[in-house]
Amino acid sequence: MADKIYWKGLEEKEQEVAFLANESKEFSEDLPILGGASDAVTTEGSTSRRDFLKMLGFSVTAATIAASCEIPVKKSIPYAWKPEEIIPGIANYYATTFSQSGEHCAVLIKTREGRPIKVEGNKLSVVSKGGTSAKVQASVLGLYSGTRFRNPKRGKENITWETADAEVKAKLDSLKASNGKVVLFTSSITSPSTKALIADLKAAYSNVEHLVYDAISYSGLLDANQLSFGARVAPNYAFAKAKVIVGVGADYLGTWLNHTEYESDWAVNRRVSKANPVMSQTFQFESVPTITGFKADYRVVVKPFEENAALIGLYNAVTGGSLAGGLKNAKIEEAAKALLAAKGASIVVSGSNDVNAQLLANAINTALGNYGNTLSFENALLLKQGSDKSATDLYNGLKDGSVKGVLFYDANPVLNHPNTKELAELIKKAELSVSFATAIDETTEVSQYVLPDNHYLESWGDVEPKAGVFNTQQPTISKLFDTRQFQETLLVWTGKGNNYYEFLQKYWESSIYPKQTKYNGFWAFWDTAVHDGEVVVGGSVATSAGNPNIADAAASLAAAAGKGGEYQLKVYESLTMGEGSWGDNPWLHEIPDPVTKITWDNYIIVSPKFAEKNNLKPDVNTKEYHVIKLTAGDNSIELPVVAIPGTPDNTFGVALGYGRTAVSSDQLLVGKNAFPFLALENGSYKNIVGDVKWSKTGRIEYLAITQTHHSITLKGLGGVKTRKIIKETTLDEYRLNPAAGNEERAEILANSVTLYPTHDRPGHHWTMAIDLNTCTGCSACVVACNSENNVALVGKDQVRRAREMHWLRIDRYFTGTEENPEVTFQPMLCQHCDNAPCENVCPVAATNHSSEGLNQMTYNRCIGTRYCANNCPYKVRRFNWYDYNAADSFTVEGGLDNDTKLSSFQLGLHEPIARMVLNPDVTVRSRGVIEKCSFCVQRLQESKLTAKKENRILKDGEATTACQTSCPTGAIIFGDRNDKTSEVYKAMIDERTFGVIEEIHTLPNVLYQTQVRNKKAESDQHTEEAHHA
Amino acid sequence: MHAYESEFREPLINGLDKNYTKITDDLVKPTEGRPPLIWWIAVGLCGMGALFFFFCLGWTVYYGIGTWGLNKTIGWAWDITNFVWWIGIGHAGTLISAILLLFRQRFRTGINRAAEAMTIFAVICAGMFPVFHMGRVWMGFFIFPYPNTRGPVWVNFNSPLLWDVFAISTYFTVSVLFWYSGLMPDFATIRDRATTKWRKFIYNALSFGWQGTAKQWQRFESLSLVLAGLSTPLVLSVHTIVSFDFATSVIPGWHTTIFPPYFVAGAIFSGFAMVETLMLITRKIFKLEDYITINHIESMNKVIVLTGSIVGIAYITELFIAWYSGYLYEQYAFYSRAFGKYWWAYTAMMSCNVLSPQLYWFKKYRRNLVVTFILSIFVNIGMWFERFVIIVTSLADDFLPSSHAYFTPTWVDWGIYLGSIGLFLTLFLLFARTFPVVAIAEVKSIFRTSSEVAKKERAEKEGAKHGGFIGSVQLSNKDEK
Repeated sequence: MADKIYWKGLEEKEQEVAFLANESKEFSEDLPILGGASDAVTTEGSTSRRDFLKMLGFSVTAATIAASCEIPVKKSIPYAWKPEEIIPGIANYYATTFSQSGEHCAVLIKTREGRPIKVEGNKLSVVSKGGTSAKVQASVLGLYSGTRFRNPKRGKENITWETADAEVKAKLDSLKASNGKVVLFTSSITSPSTKALIADLKAAYSNVEHLVYDAISYSGLLDANQLSFGARVAPNYAFAKAKVIVGVGADYLGTWLNHTEYESDWAVNRRVSKANPVMSQTFQFESVPTITGFKADYRVVVKPFEENAALIGLYNAVTGGSLAGGLKNAKIEEAAKALLAAKGASIVVSGSNDVNAQLLANAINTALGNYGNTLSFENALLLKQGSDKSATDLYNGLKDGSVKGVLFYDANPVLNHPNTKELAELIKKAELSVSFATAIDETTEVSQYVLPDNHYLESWGDVEPKAGVFNTQQPTISKLFDTRQFQETLLVWTGKGNNYYEFLQKYWESSIYPKQTKYNGFWAFWDTAVHDGEVVVGGSVATSAGNPNIADAAASLAAAAGKGGEYQLKVYESLTMGEGSWGDNPWLHEIPDPVTKITWDNYIIVSPKFAEKNNLKPDVNTKEYHVIKLTAGDNSIELPVVAIPGTPDNTFGVALGYGRTAVSSDQLLVGKNAFPFLALENGSYKNIVGDVKWSKTGRIEYLAITQTHHSITLKGLGGVKTRKIIKETTLDEYRLNPAAGNEERAEILANSVTLYPTHDRPGHHWTMAIDLNTCTGCSACVVACNSENNVALVGKDQVRRAREMHWLRIDRYFTGTEENPEVTFQPMLCQHCDNAPCENVCPVAATNHSSEGLNQMTYNRCIGTRYCANNCPYKVRRFNWYDYNAADSFTVEGGLDNDTKLSSFQLGLHEPIARMVLNPDVTVRSRGVIEKCSFCVQRLQESKLTAKKENRILKDGEATTACQTSCPTGAIIFGDRNDKTSEVYKAMIDERTFGVIEEIHTLPNVLYQTQVRNKKAESDQHTEEAHHA
Repeated sequence: MHAYESEFREPLINGLDKNYTKITDDLVKPTEGRPPLIWWIAVGLCGMGALFFFFCLGWTVYYGIGTWGLNKTIGWAWDITNFVWWIGIGHAGTLISAILLLFRQRFRTGINRAAEAMTIFAVICAGMFPVFHMGRVWMGFFIFPYPNTRGPVWVNFNSPLLWDVFAISTYFTVSVLFWYSGLMPDFATIRDRATTKWRKFIYNALSFGWQGTAKQWQRFESLSLVLAGLSTPLVLSVHTIVSFDFATSVIPGWHTTIFPPYFVAGAIFSGFAMVETLMLITRKIFKLEDYITINHIESMNKVIVLTGSIVGIAYITELFIAWYSGYLYEQYAFYSRAFGKYWWAYTAMMSCNVLSPQLYWFKKYRRNLVVTFILSIFVNIGMWFERFVIIVTSLADDFLPSSHAYFTPTWVDWGIYLGSIGLFLTLFLLFARTFPVVAIAEVKSIFRTSSEVAKKERAEKEGAKHGGFIGSVQLSNKDEK
């Protein structure tokens, strides 16, 4: 009997196709399981259960493996109470002022999440004119320096402020009782309120004497003005008004007095255009080369002791006098002729610290009618007030025991007093010695107490850089450590409470507010002052005509000039180290000196002829330099010899500010101290030393030089040929033909063809134009770039191996003779080529081009083949040879040889405190990737977003790069070339504009403008010289 | 299918006592029994070199490429020099086995096995450098075009470095296949002589169970021909593509259209020299003088003098074009190459590569083992310097004088270079001990036509004017036993 058939429903009974199909499935309907990664698969629903399980299994396993790798956890803590003014990701800017040891800039401090990270120039300032110097740019690093004191100290021991106050006050009181003299030894105090506080201290302690010195001394200049004009100040130099500038050993573009202002003023008359083809003419008489000399139209090489003789010669030539001892030189006549043709619109400056030299300079300026025009005592410069007598007074007082106690503020005499070694012992013997330094220095090492001052970015304050011009300082961050502002300490000691901010406000209300009439009401005035960082209330220094004896001055100068002997030494202020306080700033150490291109050391500059004659030429490949010993009197110094074209024969130049011994890291024990060579003569310290003896030591030392003297001009088959990397012309030629020196550009552009389709740049097309004529090589841009873009520091050993990481470098090219070359500085950065050789060779497309013309670097994608760097014709790409930034998740420390000792070149960046200076908008690069200039893409993005939020088109000049804003001379123009009204577009179509090696069709987006020298064309000059002969 | 045999051609296999059994004995012997002491010493030394190679690579990966002597201007130096050098050396094997097979140059049978092995080991060494010269070697997989979730981000097909990846991996794969397929019958021969169970098992597995049937032989021959056809263009393409790394760039001294032929000639030049170096040692130690005869050496020396002269012409052409172009940067690049800070490298290159092989115009020197050995070393030194000169001197003095720099190697550079030679020799020594260094089956194929025995037999058949031998050369191994 057949089995019965059971059925569940009619569908089954009737054996419907669909029913049968579904019956074999576990679930009769499709399950809502999403398929694999592909959408196509999902829509068709073909992912089987097997596939689902496979994928599940794989992803769980993968996630497990990935999660089980232990990656170090870095915690970030959100604000529990958000400060009102801080929006994460948005920068705040605060106006404040850098003013220490004579370096002065009104600045804006960029802070992110409460951390100061970058210094920008304050464009409202009439003193620094929006420019900054390399040193001021680097000052933000000092805030986070490992060398800063974190507590008040007695000897090496940490103490509390209460203890410190009690003990020091007790000492001061007892010294007062015994009438023992206490010296407050400081650099020039530029803060009026601090001066008031010091007066209060002197009132409270009658035994306190305030001695002001400047390690880089301008004593001679100030004393001369006292004699000539009855005012011991420097005049206000208006370089912007000068048609002719004659410098005699004064590096007014690099280091001399308020050089940042002078640089920007100098540039005003150095910018040429077709519409206005005029420019000032500059003469420089100098021995050791400076950037000022290298930028001068005529640089006259004289030996150090002849600098003052040149001044006498100039005086004779200008006034028609016949003082004895004047240097005779055709160029002196020429300079005098130019000066006389520009009466009232010229400046003569002398870098000498000899009062007689300065008297002569004053006399020349007076004869030229420059006072009241280019020089004035209205807004006289107050940055330097020190006297060399103070330095000798301190030394003598301590030596004869009349000075019982010393207080050091902004002063490090153990490093930069000429009697350094002896002074250290004398300070140790004093009954009381207190230093207010913020960071370890040689003087704090021998002081009994260190009462650390705040960093300037943590301080309130005021500065009067010029008579009637006031800058304000405000804190940009709370105190990082248990430090106390110097002024507050003075308040405590004089029993006036402990609130310097209140004191400052009251001082301004009573002393500065009444001087002005613009603001009605103190608070409006004060708020504006703090907001703008600067107020001008007007003011001048009273002068009275003096009548110094020029003949005597000249006679004494002439006598001194004769004492030079065969070998002469000039110790000079370097562009980066100043008077030595910058010695713990690795950013500055890593800046190649613009003249010598050497980092991380000082050295003896000599002439190429001297080096050749004495067999002292270095091995430029291995960077091994011969060390020689210089001896003058009791002092000697042993340093490597560097031959620099343009140095007079038998002349040595040694930079000051090196040889720090009290620093945080062995890396910073750099160079030798040359301050002991300063010799007291005629009441001031001379930086030129005669009758120097030199001897070979037979030793070899490495110097971390970034650019050696490779010739740009090639002599070989087919005659002499010059690489068209830099282009220059003379003013006369430029007047005739605006494309002078740049003639072949038209041909290059005409031949610029391609087989490939070109890309549209419909939006912005970022372009930079750099004027070689106004670039002084001052290197402020290099530090600004470091700071903005978290560029790694690598240290001396790595720089020697040519591994510096700078995204922006200043190339230096010589032309002409070794004895007196012409020099061009050329900032070199990624050229953002529209046809970039680096882009097509990257195997993983880690570097590519944006639609806005930027050559971009994708660090994440980079595998480090370095092919792009090899194929870059400009060699601007930088490779992270090691984990320079301690940026890797797994940091590698230590190693077997010097090369891999990471701690030695990470320079403290692995310390959390030092990392606070990093810009959070810029990726910190890890080991093994290439990096390079990004045109500050984060700043461009920020400005674009701001414009977008405000629903408007980006204005020209809104998007800026860090190098551009730091430049005191405005040599860098940046903008959108698609905007036909922009400055950069105008520069682009100018006849002076060219691209570097653009004949290889890289289509660079960085363009340069020819250097124009205001001098006769070389052929004319030769005929003239022949004439003279 | 025998080739036409010249009456004047010297025998390719020497020794009157030779027969098929003797050949098997002679050629398999080095893999049997205890190796000589000198082998142990050599393996010990080279093995240490190989270990040091890996130590230095580890050091580099752990600390960074900074442990090498490179700098901002010279981004490649010994790494890519070594890479191109090894790749060049790796050219001879395929040339000998593929091109000479197609041209029916039967003298190749004595040397092709070792040359192919050398090729593979040289390519292994070469491959290490592009991998470990990467700053982030752990991200090296980015270089493969694989589907990914990052967009997907694709590789840059415009980059010659990417072409290298494909060129070298293809070359390596085909070379390994060619080499291995040729080894299968010989493995079977070793297996058949094996006395221990393990030895039998291993060689059986290695021979893929080769039986020596007619069908197998027929397929074997077809495969050889197909692979030879595939490899022939590769011999030319690999070094051409390697030369594109330089030729497609903008750097004066690199940007040169002469590079592809010049590189290929140079590669064959250095490859033959390296084969000679190794063969001269091998034939001595393993007593294979009868199979790798002076005749072989002379043939290779002829190739060396030809390719060396081609390379020499290329050098002179470069100089001429630099002058003729009137292009300043090009002129400077070549001027400083010859007379600049690296003059010694250029001099070494010129004298080793161009001058020294000219000795081979004289038969006396072509057939002199000592001269051959010394010159083979010279040629490889010269060819190393050629790559160094091209890579380093061009980078060191390019467009902007401000960036001109100098390269000084560190101990890690030395360690990696010398270590790679250690690795190469270790692999070769292990190969020589375990694999038949001379292709047994292929040598047997020429025994009846061009061995000394054959020549003698033919001489004895005086008056018989049928100029050659009739009879199968395809005698199976089995028959011989």
